[in-house]
Amino acid sequence: MTLEIAQPNLPKAPEPETGSPRYWGLVWKQFKKRKLNMIGLWVILILVAIAILAPLLANSEPVYVKYQDKVYLPILQKLWPISKLNLYPELTGVDLKDWKAKGAEFRYTPVPYSPDDYNLEEILEPPSIYHWLGTDQQGRDVLSRLIHGSRISLSVGLIAVGIYTLIGIFLGALAGYFGGRWDMLLSRLIEIMICFPTFFLILALVAVLGQDLFYIMLVIGLTGWTGIARLTRGEFLKLRNQDFVTACLSQGMPTRRILFRHLLPNAMAPVMVSATFGIASAILIESSLSFLGFGVRPPTPSWGELLSQAKSVIDVAWWLTTFPGMAIFLTITAFNLVGEGLRDAVDPKLKS
Amino acid sequence: MSAYLLKRLLTMIPTLFGIMLITFLIVRLAPGNPVSLKIQAAQGLKSTALSQEVTDQMLKLYGLKVDLPAGYENFIKDKPAPVRKALEWLGQNTIQFKIWLVNVCQLNFGMSFKDHRPVLEKIREALPITLTLNLLEFLIAYLISIPLGVYSALGRESAVDKGVMVLLFILYSLPTFWVAYLLLMYFASGDHLNWFPLGGLHSEGYETYPFLMKIGNLMWHLVLPVITMVYGSFAFITRFSRSTMLEVVKQDYVRTAWAKGLPRRQVIWKHAFRNSLIPQITLLGTLLPALLGGSVIIEQIFSIPGMGKLAFEAISSRDYPTIMAITTISAFLTLISLLLSDIAYAFADPRISFEEKQQA
Amino acid sequence: MQRRPSFIVLALLVIAGLFSACEVQAPKDPHTLIYHLGSEPDTLNRLTATDAYEGRINGFIFDSLIERDNATLEFKPKMAKSWEVSDDKLVYTFHLRDDIKWHDGKPFNADDVIYTFQKIMDEKVDAPHLRVYYKDIKNLEKLDDYTVRFTYAIPYFKALEFVGGIPIIPKHVFDDGKDFNSHPAGRFPIGNGPYKFKRWDTGSQIVLERNEEYWDKTKFPDIRRIVFKIIPDDIVAFQRLKKGDLDMDSLNPKQWVKQSNTPTFEKLFAKHQYYTPSYRYVGWNLRRPYFQDKKVRQALARLINRQGILKNLEYGLGKLTTGPFWIFGYEYDQTLPQIPFDPAGAKKLLDEAGWIDHDGDGIRDKDGVKFSFKFLIPSGAEFYQNLATIMKRDFAEAGIEMEIQTMEWATFVQQLNSRDFDAVSLAWSFGYDEDPYQVWHSSQAEKGSNFVGFQNGEADRLMEEARQVFDKDKRAELFHQMHRIIYDEQPYAFLYSGPALVARSRRFENVKVYPGGVDILEWKVGKQP
Repeated sequence: MTLEIAQPNLPKAPEPETGSPRYWGLVWKQFKKRKLNMIGLWVILILVAIAILAPLLANSEPVYVKYQDKVYLPILQKLWPISKLNLYPELTGVDLKDWKAKGAEFRYTPVPYSPDDYNLEEILEPPSIYHWLGTDQQGRDVLSRLIHGSRISLSVGLIAVGIYTLIGIFLGALAGYFGGRWDMLLSRLIEIMICFPTFFLILALVAVLGQDLFYIMLVIGLTGWTGIARLTRGEFLKLRNQDFVTACLSQGMPTRRILFRHLLPNAMAPVMVSATFGIASAILIESSLSFLGFGVRPPTPSWGELLSQAKSVIDVAWWLTTFPGMAIFLTITAFNLVGEGLRDAVDPKLKS
Repeated sequence: MSAYLLKRLLTMIPTLFGIMLITFLIVRLAPGNPVSLKIQAAQGLKSTALSQEVTDQMLKLYGLKVDLPAGYENFIKDKPAPVRKALEWLGQNTIQFKIWLVNVCQLNFGMSFKDHRPVLEKIREALPITLTLNLLEFLIAYLISIPLGVYSALGRESAVDKGVMVLLFILYSLPTFWVAYLLLMYFASGDHLNWFPLGGLHSEGYETYPFLMKIGNLMWHLVLPVITMVYGSFAFITRFSRSTMLEVVKQDYVRTAWAKGLPRRQVIWKHAFRNSLIPQITLLGTLLPALLGGSVIIEQIFSIPGMGKLAFEAISSRDYPTIMAITTISAFLTLISLLLSDIAYAFADPRISFEEKQQA
Repeated sequence: MQRRPSFIVLALLVIAGLFSACEVQAPKDPHTLIYHLGSEPDTLNRLTATDAYEGRINGFIFDSLIERDNATLEFKPKMAKSWEVSDDKLVYTFHLRDDIKWHDGKPFNADDVIYTFQKIMDEKVDAPHLRVYYKDIKNLEKLDDYTVRFTYAIPYFKALEFVGGIPIIPKHVFDDGKDFNSHPAGRFPIGNGPYKFKRWDTGSQIVLERNEEYWDKTKFPDIRRIVFKIIPDDIVAFQRLKKGDLDMDSLNPKQWVKQSNTPTFEKLFAKHQYYTPSYRYVGWNLRRPYFQDKKVRQALARLINRQGILKNLEYGLGKLTTGPFWIFGYEYDQTLPQIPFDPAGAKKLLDEAGWIDHDGDGIRDKDGVKFSFKFLIPSGAEFYQNLATIMKRDFAEAGIEMEIQTMEWATFVQQLNSRDFDAVSLAWSFGYDEDPYQVWHSSQAEKGSNFVGFQNGEADRLMEEARQVFDKDKRAELFHQMHRIIYDEQPYAFLYSGPALVARSRRFENVKVYPGGVDILEWKVGKQP
């Protein structure tokens, strides 16, 4: 059951206040009130920052090299899109190790290892001043892999949920607004999706499509949309008979505009809450897939992969289980706290 | 009411058909086929090149190659090769799907490709195990979560409420397999504590135990798996129970009860709590299908031969009949349980009538 | 109201406490050997089973006509008290013992052998994997109730092994009109060996009991029961071994070196290692442009840090190998030197072969083709993942781009069958008198096990000739030649051969380690240390 995508059944969605900036301002004010929400938000922001800056935080490439009074920033060459520019043509074919021997000045990133740098002489080293969080079974730096892994885990969460939110909103809006046949069709479709054991569907599809990061995100996305669709449908069902819709219609506004400009913002709040929770469970699904050997292919560092790699040495190498485990639980708890805060903030009934 | 029921039952037919068709397509389009898997994977992929004749014999034996109608055969005969291949695939699979459907209508789910046993027999072996585990999990999850949710709701925004919330979210966020291994290492391996067995369902020599000891032994084996299954669902149910309770507490009749000066205990448990259970029924309805599905991960780690393992092995060995049977049966039961929860909902809350709901 | 939830919690705790406190487990029986099984066999029907686990169990339940001697690996009589081979090596006559009974008391005789052979050849029987081994048998006759004669169409050096090892099933059990493939005897085998089948609890255990009427008193086992516990997770299985739930298990190198050296473990368990014929390899699909040149393959072999991988990832447990035969076998040419890890030499070879980085993108190319390929490994297998990541780094260093492709087993097999891969890593395990034909003959390139598409006229000729040579030394000569050809051609990068690592309870005595492993039948039950 823990593997199911959690679809929080929301208590009745907010009153159809407008989805105007003022409304979101109020929500923000409400959200800010609780400290836990803000802690969760900060954790997420820091994680996103780490993910974006990963190559600058953990890289075996020197950041700064001073040789014969000339300064080079070799790391830039490894960063996309700068890598396309060929900044230092004079560096091609030069082994920087020779420079080091000749007394060049080197500066490294805080973690001077790339996630894939293996060192067979340093297998399963416990945390030390060289490897702050120890090394894994190929002698790779765990911290570096964790930092780069944040990119994978977060993008699985965000993109998979992004995909299913889009699908859910689109289908839910159609069914809710037009009703009738559309609604009937969607209800059947949702019923069909619910009847599939989700995790097995994901497993089967990943097996069919291939173990690629993109496919994993796509499959989680394709199987997770029913909750959002139901929410959106419900909101649209409620909203479509409101006065402002009739007003829009009488002005001869195109349906598409009514749907996505006027109705959607109103329905966004519960959808966002649901999506936040969805991110957390997508990250968990990725780690479960990794455990079963269906995760991203090596050597891509994902947290789930790190954690499942650790299982065979669980009684010898505590650092291999502890740190990735903590990364996963910190992230998911943060997303859940934010989701919970958001839910309370957008729910007018709870404001007393 | 009976008209509504009939309508619901009728709409189940296209849904069920859709599920069967989609499963059939996924299964058939998936790379790998059971025959070559079986011949090739025997003795670690070592095999001498088989003649096309032998392969065909096997395909026929498994019902994966049937005779196409002569007319169709003639029709596709002189089409260009790719078209012919596609049409042949289409023809083969249409007929095979039809055969399968006819058999299923007679409740014949066929023989497993893996071991030539009737699929239903295999499900019958695995299902009770999974059901036991899941029922225990549900029971414990609800027994703990609902009171916890009520508490949180009553002490809204208090330190307890927040503490419970954070704790439950932390529990939710721990990956199952990680927790499972940690529990085994610390509570069962004997390296630290030796309270529980390391997986399995029974101890050695279980057959000879007296009845009560059998039950005790089984329960003893189930403690860790159930803990692993249950801790993640606390957050969900507790938060749900909290929010429904919060909503109920604000209702007029609860306020009236307070105003009447009824004792706190009576107000909360008799008036508020009972009504807050109504939405739980719908939730239960959506969770019921989960009763039938096992978790591969938990079953694998704890060596439990349940539905999760059965399904996982069926997928990995491309055991078509087993995959189809599991999906079909669980889909059918899911649909029934959704219907039942709707009905229960109507009974629990007289304000709901189906006719009205249909118009909404 | 304050009390209710805490009461529930308390009640639960009490229940849990009760279960853990009270005696819910009976003491262990020292005469039972509990053995780990990583996965459940599909069936115990000897003809339709295709997995490795069936053999491990049925090996105790069934005997064969002849068997290999533990020490010398030569064949010796078992259910056949003697046999004759005609001078042209085409006719094999077996004289069966007349004192053997099936476990249900019915006598074993020539009819069972005949029936077995008929069933193997029956196209309605799901046994195509066996059929290919017996397809060259022209005729099988029953001379009398205890004499059978196989006649081959062509001479083949493994013929005796095949006919002597035919998995005989009881005719009187199977021949009752029921469908053979789904016959209940597949779940409840009736054999004639030292152990009787007792029970099979799906997904948890298979129990065998000693056959008290076993005819072969020289091999009469001391252990009364054997329980095969099905534990899919190796880590959990190892913990159960440590705890004493299991009496025997195979270990992986990490467990062998790092996790099984505590005093308690050493006191309870003894560890044995032995090398059965097997090796791991990386195979290059020779149909791909990058791998067509021998020089390139020789270079790639120098880019795989076999020594480092063996030493550090497998803790030195294994022996590097140079070719497709058992490292201790007569077929293996011991004179060939190991290929070193030599990136500089590899780069030189690649340059010579014309794979040079013409466009300066860091990746070698030739005739407009970039040296960028996919490396296929089965998913979820730790060793292959480690190997692949290490190869990826070292190849990148040498200007070769390698993408790792993990695939779930069924898809993996499909890719191999359709030859739709660039490079692949796997392991072969094989028999003592190996016939390399299936894996290396050009006739097997399209559909057999010659996935990489190795085609070499000289090697073909050697293999064809060797099939009809019955003299070991002569065959060794031919296979040495073939070994040298393959060594030179490098269609595989041969990695190493890993030992079988076994831990068993010290309760058992008289445990001897033979080239082929341990023989549980001769173990004696002693005192628990």
